[in-house]
Amino acid sequence: MKKLLVILVCFTVLLGTVILASEAGKLLIWTDEVRKPTIENLGKQFTKLYGVPVTVQEMSFGDIRDKLGVAGPAGKGPDLIIGAHDWLGQLVVSGLLEPLEFMQEMKGKFVKTAVDAFTYGGKIYGLPFATEAIGLIYNKDLVPTPPKTFKELEAIAKKLTHPEKKEYGFITQASQPDPYHSFPFFTAYGGYIFGKNPDGTLNPCDIGLDTKGAVKGAYLLLSLIKKGLVPEGIDYQTMTSLFNAGKIGMILTGPWAVGGAVKSGINVGVAKIPTVDGNTPRPFVGVQGFMMSNFSKNKALAAFFLKDYVATKDTMLALYKADPRAPAFKPALTAVAQDPIVKGFAENIAVGIPMPSIPQMSAVWTAWANAISLFCTQKEAPEKALSDAVISIKKTIKCH
Amino acid sequence: MIKNWLKIIILGVLDALGIWAAIGLLQAGGWGVLAVLIFGLIGLNVALLSKKAYPLRYLLPGLVLFGLMVVYPIIYNINIAFMNYGTGNILSKTQVISQFMNKYYQPEGSERFLFQIFRNKKGDLKVLFISKVSNEAYLSVGDHIESVDLHNPSLIYKNGEIIRIDDYEKMSMIQIIQNLSKIQNLAFKYNDGLVKFRSVSEFRVYKPQYSYNGEHNTLIDLKTNKVYKPINGTFTSSDGEQLSPGFRDYVGFKNFIDILRNPQVSGPFIRVFSWTFIWALLSVFTTFTLGLTLAILLNDSTLRLRYLYRTLLILPYVVPGFISILIWRGLLNTNFGVINDVLQNLFSVKVPWFQDPFWAKVALLIVNLWLGFPYMMLISLGALQSIPSELYEAARIDGAGSWQRFYSITFPLLMITLAPLLIGSFAFNFNNFTVIYLLTGGQPPIPGSQTPAGATDILISYTYKLAFGGAGSQYGYAAAISIIIFLIIGTISAFNFRFTKRLEEMGENL
Repeated sequence: MKKLLVILVCFTVLLGTVILASEAGKLLIWTDEVRKPTIENLGKQFTKLYGVPVTVQEMSFGDIRDKLGVAGPAGKGPDLIIGAHDWLGQLVVSGLLEPLEFMQEMKGKFVKTAVDAFTYGGKIYGLPFATEAIGLIYNKDLVPTPPKTFKELEAIAKKLTHPEKKEYGFITQASQPDPYHSFPFFTAYGGYIFGKNPDGTLNPCDIGLDTKGAVKGAYLLLSLIKKGLVPEGIDYQTMTSLFNAGKIGMILTGPWAVGGAVKSGINVGVAKIPTVDGNTPRPFVGVQGFMMSNFSKNKALAAFFLKDYVATKDTMLALYKADPRAPAFKPALTAVAQDPIVKGFAENIAVGIPMPSIPQMSAVWTAWANAISLFCTQKEAPEKALSDAVISIKKTIKCH
Repeated sequence: MIKNWLKIIILGVLDALGIWAAIGLLQAGGWGVLAVLIFGLIGLNVALLSKKAYPLRYLLPGLVLFGLMVVYPIIYNINIAFMNYGTGNILSKTQVISQFMNKYYQPEGSERFLFQIFRNKKGDLKVLFISKVSNEAYLSVGDHIESVDLHNPSLIYKNGEIIRIDDYEKMSMIQIIQNLSKIQNLAFKYNDGLVKFRSVSEFRVYKPQYSYNGEHNTLIDLKTNKVYKPINGTFTSSDGEQLSPGFRDYVGFKNFIDILRNPQVSGPFIRVFSWTFIWALLSVFTTFTLGLTLAILLNDSTLRLRYLYRTLLILPYVVPGFISILIWRGLLNTNFGVINDVLQNLFSVKVPWFQDPFWAKVALLIVNLWLGFPYMMLISLGALQSIPSELYEAARIDGAGSWQRFYSITFPLLMITLAPLLIGSFAFNFNNFTVIYLLTGGQPPIPGSQTPAGATDILISYTYKLAFGGAGSQYGYAAAISIIIFLIIGTISAFNFRFTKRLEEMGENL
């Protein structure tokens, strides 16, 4: 009898802790360590005003998407996540996200590219807060005025390049191969990834990486290597460590590289990517935002929180301070637009193209990287490498 | 007595933990693990409480862990191989149907209402609506709304505002926010639509977009009257339109047929397979040769400081591969790596480590040699200890040289104990995804190839690209691939074991 009693006591204690896991009436938000303090603060204010508890769970940025795919369907998981717009495709086709209906009325307050990036199949699935794109980051001590055209860029680069001393004028990691960083070259003469359907959605079977413009852009990248300006196969780590040591004049990358360079004492400037024969190279735009889980039990509450507490100038500025990238919320963007770094990147974002978020994009990355590697380091003709890549992509995503 | 009590307390805690895990599994629908867990829990109680089942105490933990860590994943993998589980098809059918049933649309000119919510002591809610179109007032009654006269005596006013309806008190904004999760689910019939919550400032008329017919297993779009039937886990109309999301479902041998029919698999298969085979073989050969050589050197009792050397040589095995592979990647960088710097200064050559298919393969073998030789050295050291020293003495007396002693005594005797381990190592390297993925990622690509297969891709890394580099993550496809790779390795290993059996027979004759 005593045996049974002991066992029963243990059961009830543990059962009690399990039943506490009810979720309705509480908000649970998943975010990374950079933004956690800001969101937690916001949550505290919200709790003070309305008595609704807000829990912020920290998770590494890269894990959030996959964990939502496991936790959501199991009836667990958060009400809101903070993530990148290019997760949309996989999350939406799997039925994991809830569209944000209120964004239709509010979209005027946000940068258009950011709203477009979070639009999938005609619905808006995210409340954007930050936008990013690569730009021309330069060392003001070596390059007093940034080049406006690629010809100027090459002239400056030639003067500053001394490979034997590991000194370079202009470095891009595009030939690593790094398709993300090579995109401005491909778009300079009108290359594209996916064409558009009449309704504005992307057509995964219209791939523009082997068009005349794309091939011309590939030759531009190749010419930089052939002229001995850009060493082939250079990677991000090497590039930034040389730049931070003051050995590179200009690099082509995003806001993530600025913090380290400033800390290393480099006089950093950010400019628009120079024009090529009068054409504007367009970088990818990445957008971060809040998304709502389809398995949330508090959809109305989460929407209220987003609309009335997140979409405010104060919150948006706090998020900007935690991670300084150009805000997507117009009032916040105006407030920080005088910052020369933000201004430089904002100019690139303005001409950028949202990174495609349809799931077929994952097939493009591999084949595209292969093509770049083939024409940059293995001497294959760019037109052949790119047309093979497009055939390979079409086969992988089963276009006929 | 105390011992008995302790046993019961420990059992109680374990049972409670088990039940706690079981509840979690029950909620998540993990039936397979749940079955193993319940079986294990019952077994645990029987083993500890019954005197007859005493030996089970020692066997059972092993059996349960074997079930959970080995048998269950295998069964799970086989199960998934016959499903369409992957991006676009990760929810269950019930979840997908309930998502469609929860989709509403706003009919054209959908009527909007301002609202006030009232609550009685029991927590029941009553909503007063004012139409923004007609300014009519409505009150929720049961599951629908009815027109109401604002001068009705049951509406109690204070300072021109309604504060109470019968015994229902008006809810403040804060109370509404706190109860939003309940309010969002309110829906009242009105004409042929439903009045539902839209935002804290309005309710709107909605209509359900889909209806599910369980008898015919069809989903009907109420707006267009289109009928969708499930095909391979996706609701599909007769003209081929597919509704997203799909659900996970059994698709028979579809994944296997897709793999075998896919020209992207059959095209580069021979090339990828032969490199995989050469890679596994050379990896075992190089690591074993170096490991054995070092073991023989370290086994020499005349060597000074050999314990120090041994410790130092085990280090590559102790450092996690993830770290050392990435460091090697940097060392081998063509333009900025230390290795090429040294080579350039000494011999003025620049080796294209990751750009040339041949050198990329050499780089892989060098790095894997670094990662793998300590293991081989350790097992060889152990096996060397077990060779009786009389054999060497006898050989020396018979006049055998050191090479002959190695060739005729050490090597054959070592092989008896080590051959199964070498086969294991072969199978491991056959599937050594980590080194390939982290060092070269299968690069460099092959000129003129219209598939994503690179020059250093082995079967597992190439098929990973196919399963996860297409349109999202295709878990079912990946599981089917792993079964096929298992069959290949199983066949090769079976042949190898036959061969070692012969070795063992030889050893017995010695």
